[in-house]
Amino acid sequence: MAVPPADFIGFACAYTPLPVIAAAGGAPYRVLPMTESPDQAGRMLHDNICPHVKRILDRAIDRDLPELRGMVFVNSCDAMRRLYDAWRRVDGAAPSVLIDLPPTADESAVAFFAGEIERLARTVESWCGRTIDRSKLSKAVEQHNVLCDRVDALTRRVEAGTLEGGWSRLQAALNLAATTPFDAALKHLDGLLGEAPADRRRASDPPIFLFGNVLPDPDAHALFEACGARIVGEDMCTGSRTFTRIDSDSTEDSCRLLAASLLRRPRCARTFDASDPGRMSQDVLDAVKRSGAKGAICHTVKFCDPYLVRLPLVREALQREGYPLLVLEGDCTLRSMGQHRTRIEAFAEMLR
Amino acid sequence: MLQQYFGELETGLLSAIRGSDGLVNPRKLYSLEVARLGKRLCSGTSPVAWCGITAPFDLLHSMGVTSSFVEFVGALLAVTGVAGAFIDTADQAGYSSDGCSYHRAVMGAASQGLMPEPAFLVGATNPCSGGLAAIECLARHYSRPLTVLHIPQDESGGNVAYLAQQIRVLAGFVTAHTGLPLDRDRLREAIENTNRTRAAMCEMYALAQRVPSPATSKDLSNFGVVLPLFLGSEAAVELACAYRDEFARRCAASPTTKKRETFRLMWIQNRIQFRQDLEKLLENEYKAVIVVDELNDVTWDEIDPEEPFEGLARRSISIPFNGTMERRVEHLQKLAREYRIDGAVSPCNWGCRQGTGARGLIQAGLEEIGVPVLNLEVDCVDDRKYTEGQVRTRVEAFVEMLHGRSSPWN
Ligand code: SF4
Ligand code: SF4
Repeated sequence: MAVPPADFIGFACAYTPLPVIAAAGGAPYRVLPMTESPDQAGRMLHDNICPHVKRILDRAIDRDLPELRGMVFVNSCDAMRRLYDAWRRVDGAAPSVLIDLPPTADESAVAFFAGEIERLARTVESWCGRTIDRSKLSKAVEQHNVLCDRVDALTRRVEAGTLEGGWSRLQAALNLAATTPFDAALKHLDGLLGEAPADRRRASDPPIFLFGNVLPDPDAHALFEACGARIVGEDMCTGSRTFTRIDSDSTEDSCRLLAASLLRRPRCARTFDASDPGRMSQDVLDAVKRSGAKGAICHTVKFCDPYLVRLPLVREALQREGYPLLVLEGDCTLRSMGQHRTRIEAFAEMLR
Repeated sequence: MLQQYFGELETGLLSAIRGSDGLVNPRKLYSLEVARLGKRLCSGTSPVAWCGITAPFDLLHSMGVTSSFVEFVGALLAVTGVAGAFIDTADQAGYSSDGCSYHRAVMGAASQGLMPEPAFLVGATNPCSGGLAAIECLARHYSRPLTVLHIPQDESGGNVAYLAQQIRVLAGFVTAHTGLPLDRDRLREAIENTNRTRAAMCEMYALAQRVPSPATSKDLSNFGVVLPLFLGSEAAVELACAYRDEFARRCAASPTTKKRETFRLMWIQNRIQFRQDLEKLLENEYKAVIVVDELNDVTWDEIDPEEPFEGLARRSISIPFNGTMERRVEHLQKLAREYRIDGAVSPCNWGCRQGTGARGLIQAGLEEIGVPVLNLEVDCVDDRKYTEGQVRTRVEAFVEMLHGRSSPWN
């Protein structure tokens, strides 16, 4: 589906407060690290920076992007901060802003992040030439939540094995929803939901929970299935995590609500609860159990410190309860996933 | 093992200092303080806190806590030549070999019971995500309370007040987990010591800028990153004054040092921590002296002892690794001008996204003002990856190139 023209505003992290962009009349466009652009990011960033970030930069250098009114970065990790630095040196790149993201979700962190969202709102207003008021923001939150509900319903169908094309098709739909204006995204999701139920259950393949950060290529999901790994649940930054509901409460300050919802939703590795260090391992374990999986696959982009440093704890927690973990490090290309084919097959075989 | 090492180091240094007829090399005093801190950390006489690099060590000192950033241990393991074994332990436990070796060495040491057990831990978002993640993992490993300082990127808006409030909360957290109260008089005294240290450092750095510089490549190695661990104490004041006085003495003594200073170099980020001959090679064979390190600077104002939390917050925000790369490059350019630098060396510690990640931008920023950069590919902690021959070849080529250019400052 071709992307219809709109006032696109780029983003690169699932913590981006998308309704703020929509409230200014912009269409959030996730700059996914999927590109045929040549590798040029190495001129500015070292080889040890995560390929997620480098491919986004490659897209900017190669102008492999729709016209963007602006680009929103979130200070989620060192790599993102460096991407923001490099982006501003790319000829012709859209104007950009970096909003800071606290590592925890206590009250003062929420208040701080609300201030950053407020700052983002002013920036986006200037990019779009439209002001944001409370009612526009509420409407944008509502629309965002509509999309989230659709994504949720679609995910349930994939989990139940009743959507033709399964996870791979869901991923394609998520990519589209993250890069297309609201109406078109909704229409597409509704179209999928309206399809007659298929029967894709392959009960003989072992159930697996997939988690990690960036894996947007729908073919990667197809590869898992082809290797005999039946995904029964996922938690990926390019998966459902971009589409988590924002609380709506007309009595509360909208930026504060957005801040609290984003910081307090299920965490990825870069956000944590200081009163319960290492909690991520328990969260992953709980999610694996809930999904009914027999084991877990973590796909992380290479050089991603937030994930890589915490994975030993996750492995330990899963192993303690008898759940094997397979860690795959990739570079956002299907080629890198293909190299793991034998390991995925062996892992699935072991779980049979 | 660590306790014995520090004990022996202290004894050795004390006897060398006693035998030096009053003319003590300040580097020895620096090493003595390192040994004493190490000994305190291991002695069990006061609560220990493992922290991120930008924690307010003077505040913790005033409350009777012995604290250090964990990378200090990583560096010490490298100096003593044992980091490799601990890195292997961490890797076997599943830590990625692409991560920062300061942290991998520390995680390995912790899992082998080598690190003193902390009473609590203080993470910080500056300088790096890897460091914060390592602190969280250590808190889990030791099952000890953790608090985190979110260091904003700059001083705009309410950022200083936000961080100052977190530091106030930190003081309450320390009391809650150690029973040690915050005594305003002791804090005032610590802040006054910090300010006196700061004043001496400013004078000492101003002397180091002279041409020829009184500083040798070794004198201030790691100084700017390690000194904050002593802030708040009398020892920090004495150390900074000792350096200042020694540099003043060297400046007054003779200008002949010019002979050993054909090129003035700046070292970017941290030094290589294990023993190797790079500094010697530069100085002895090429007359190229490292006269300044990126972190050897005072980027913060005097702290008001009556309003300490705001001043401490400003200091943490001011550290050159914080914020955008423009800010960091501007700081490097400022140092290059002040010290009349001919070239810069960046070790590009493998695993450091924060620093090494942007090496292309740093290089471009310095070249803009005529300062070429030698990017080495080394791991600053893991000596097994160091290939002396390769480094020598790169250094030779760099120095040769410097010979062919005129100084950017003429
Ligand atoms: S994949 Fe990891 S390192 Fe890369 S941008 Fe995301 S959190 Fe940061
Ligand atoms: S070298 Fe880089 S990654 Fe390692 S501790 Fe220092 S700032 Fe962090």
